Amino acid sequence: MLKKDIPVIKLRWYAWALAVVLLLAGGISFAVLGGFNLGVDFESGLSQRIQIAPIGLEVTYAGNKDAVLAVSGSGLNLEVRGDEGVSSTSFSASEYPTAQDLATALGAVQNINVAVVDGSLETAQLLSGYGFPATLSAEPTKLNFQSSGNANIEDVRSALDSLGNVRVQTVGVDGSQTFQVRLGIKEGATQDSMETEVKNALNAAFGAGNVVVLQSDYIGPKFSATLLSSSILAIVVAMALILLYIWVRFRFAYAVSSLIALVHDILMMLTVITLFRFEFSGITVAALLTIIGYSLNNTIVIFDRIRENVALAPDASLSVNIDHSVTQSLSRTVMSAVTTLIAIIPLAIFASGDIQLFAVKMGFGILFGTYSSNLLAPAMLYWISNAQAKKKEKKAE
Amino acid sequence: MKKRSRLVVVLVVVLLCGFFLYPTIAWYGFVPQDTKELATGSNVQIKEYSRGQASRDLRSLKELVADDPQAALPSEFSYLKDYAKENYKAMKRSVPRNWTLEALFAGFYNEQDMFDSAESYYRTSLLDLKTLGNKALQLGLDLEGGMSILLEADVASYEDKIGKTASSSEISEAIRQDIEILEKRIDQFGVSEPVIRLQGDDQILIEIPGAADPERVNSFLRGKGSLVFKIVDTTLTAELNAYYTENPSEVYTDTGALKQPDFLPAGKIAAGYYISDEYGIDELESYVVIEEEIGLDGIHLESATTATDGITGRPVVNFQLDSLGGDIFYKLTSTHVGDTMAVVMDGKVKAMATINEGIRSNVQISGFDAEEAADLAIVLRTAALPIELVVSSQQAVGATLGEDAVSAGLKAIAVGLALVIILMFAYYHVSGLVANLALLLNLFFMISVLSAFNFTLTLTSVAGLILTLGMAVDTNVIIFERIKEERRLGKSDVAAIKAGFDKAFWTVMDANITTIIAALVLSQLGSSAVKGFANTLAIGIVSSVFTALFVSHLIFDATVAQREGKKLHISWRKN
Repeated sequence: MLKKDIPVIKLRWYAWALAVVLLLAGGISFAVLGGFNLGVDFESGLSQRIQIAPIGLEVTYAGNKDAVLAVSGSGLNLEVRGDEGVSSTSFSASEYPTAQDLATALGAVQNINVAVVDGSLETAQLLSGYGFPATLSAEPTKLNFQSSGNANIEDVRSALDSLGNVRVQTVGVDGSQTFQVRLGIKEGATQDSMETEVKNALNAAFGAGNVVVLQSDYIGPKFSATLLSSSILAIVVAMALILLYIWVRFRFAYAVSSLIALVHDILMMLTVITLFRFEFSGITVAALLTIIGYSLNNTIVIFDRIRENVALAPDASLSVNIDHSVTQSLSRTVMSAVTTLIAIIPLAIFASGDIQLFAVKMGFGILFGTYSSNLLAPAMLYWISNAQAKKKEKKAE
Repeated sequence: MKKRSRLVVVLVVVLLCGFFLYPTIAWYGFVPQDTKELATGSNVQIKEYSRGQASRDLRSLKELVADDPQAALPSEFSYLKDYAKENYKAMKRSVPRNWTLEALFAGFYNEQDMFDSAESYYRTSLLDLKTLGNKALQLGLDLEGGMSILLEADVASYEDKIGKTASSSEISEAIRQDIEILEKRIDQFGVSEPVIRLQGDDQILIEIPGAADPERVNSFLRGKGSLVFKIVDTTLTAELNAYYTENPSEVYTDTGALKQPDFLPAGKIAAGYYISDEYGIDELESYVVIEEEIGLDGIHLESATTATDGITGRPVVNFQLDSLGGDIFYKLTSTHVGDTMAVVMDGKVKAMATINEGIRSNVQISGFDAEEAADLAIVLRTAALPIELVVSSQQAVGATLGEDAVSAGLKAIAVGLALVIILMFAYYHVSGLVANLALLLNLFFMISVLSAFNFTLTLTSVAGLILTLGMAVDTNVIIFERIKEERRLGKSDVAAIKAGFDKAFWTVMDANITTIIAALVLSQLGSSAVKGFANTLAIGIVSSVFTALFVSHLIFDATVAQREGKKLHISWRKN
């Protein structure tokens, strides 16, 4: 426990000055960098996650039954349905460690032919992207294997250059050769035609079939417009209702101060998103909302304490009461921030894609939220309360 | 509230949650993967599978009994014993003690009866599993892999087609018909049963778990299913029906498809005549022999409507053919006057009618009641959607990515949870364990409520889950810090606990109510990804307030407040 209270009110100018400087920096970078890096759900277009992975095997089937090949976590599954029943065979990675082993085992099945393209690839690295589970036919079904290679983001970029407005990002570790590709929508293009264009361009650059599509999102122009307006509406309505609740439960000054702190948090988050070029997607909206909830929670806990202390010691000055309340809440503030952070840090490290981005944004958000709840919101409360008191005095005169 | 009633409330909630969680545990923990795939198929697929399995069992049983009637019944067929037992009882005969193959056969009235029992066994067990699966917590497409497509009605081209501006009720009616048609196409689609539903006024959302193959989806939307007109062979049809009645084990192949008997000459094929049952599943009525050669392809069909015959007053179906179709149809009908014509969709005969004369473009089929006529009109229209659909958004996740996301997410949650648990114990000593218990209970409550409301677990709701676990800890932290403070003021343990909970109550409520306001607004107004997050958050807030105010409070009261002199451990330090 601290012997002395933290001089929150004394520090108010410095705290707000720092916030304003950071926000200005955010505003400038927003202007310089040309806005947000909008995700595909906010900006119409096609977004695909692709992985460059060599073909190991090409499988054909000459029989007249229904043969379906599926990639499971531990290897391959072959299911043949015919008149005499369903036969299902698994080829696990532990039993058939390489593509060559798989080819030998698969080739032994009646009517199945396997052409080995690269037998040294590992079964454990089999990929299951578009088109799986695959129904086998005379047309070869290609099995791709994840493998280390040296294709880099520049190669992908130049491969897709001819398609116009294309953005490419690296996903995951360097060696995995996984990329997120984004294409703006063109007049008259459909999701079908855009997918084909990307596929053809990549095949030309990396060899036919050497690119696996892991994920493909297509957003039409009308959909993205609705999403943006509904997200903004949701945030505005939520904030208005929260303002109303705090006004009823506390006082007007508390409601306005906590909302100003909230606006700060949102703007700071947007600054971080602009500076680090994070993608602004539906998940970002979720992260923003979470931070609103978290920071609000923090602010309310502190305001609750201020209200209690003001009632207990109405004669003490507001600044003393505020300093005291923030200090009393400090151990809770720290504990709460630390527990939430240690729950989120593993996500930022181990998880992938959207969840990871969410966790990183949340981490920043917790820092800003804690800062604003402890320093900015109480300062704002102090200013507004003083202004209200002055107004009252004037009226009394 | 009295301590005892609080204990009762907690126990009831725990039991209730256990009840809701049971299907999820049973489904993900104890159902093998290939059975899961079968059970998640469409009803038609389940039916075909059961028919196939029943045919196979019946055939091998017949072989076995021919070999040695006295042999013991192999265990894989012992499920038939229950059916046989009931039959024995119904026949008022004593149930055999030794189940030989002969005894089993004697327990059925005839082969058809045995086939029906076997089919019903397979069907019931899969349908039961399907019900279980539907009650379990559903994984979202982003976790499981699959596709989701949002389709939008192409109003402009619809208006071009009908030649006037369409009112919103006309459009929603057309969309409703689109959905009906798409649902009818499900059975031709593939492995998993897609979800098809109306979103807003003019959008259709289709979600297909498991498969991420756009080619198949496109063929589904285009309606690859074929509609053709074929001539029926009446003599062979009678022969075929007699043959199938005599040999029930020879009707279906193991995949549930019709087995083509050897006596049919080349160019003739056996097909089932189906009518829709009350569940909308095609029910097999009888068997028909039709020409293999297509009489007329359904692509020549321009429209189909129902009407009432002016003279007889009976319902008829009118359909219009394009000019080429009219020529073909005239040639076909004029050479087959007096024969029967079948409307065949995806290999199934859906309607039959006698040809009275050569017909050109305006075709009228009669001979049904009003309902059948309406059904046929739908069948004929199914070849084309009343209002064209364009893809508004499409998201597909390959199974690899889904699997990776799940395992990485689970790992991260586990690590985060473990770290929080260690930290709480390290900081709050034994009291930290109470908070940890509350935390785990919270996780349990949330997952069971999510399964009870049939929510889908997506990436964003996992994020919501993690956040709420953090908040559940926070609620306990607020209370603990308050108790510590009260103790520092010199209060006894019992008094500190009481004051701590009392004073923290409104802090906890205010903090959580503001957050739940945000969560509820989002779950109403947000986009679907945000909704998943908001729902989880709202459930989590309620459950974390409940665990802190009920469970933690109860444990503190029971352990410390009850026994004077029992020390409260809320920190490793003295204070």
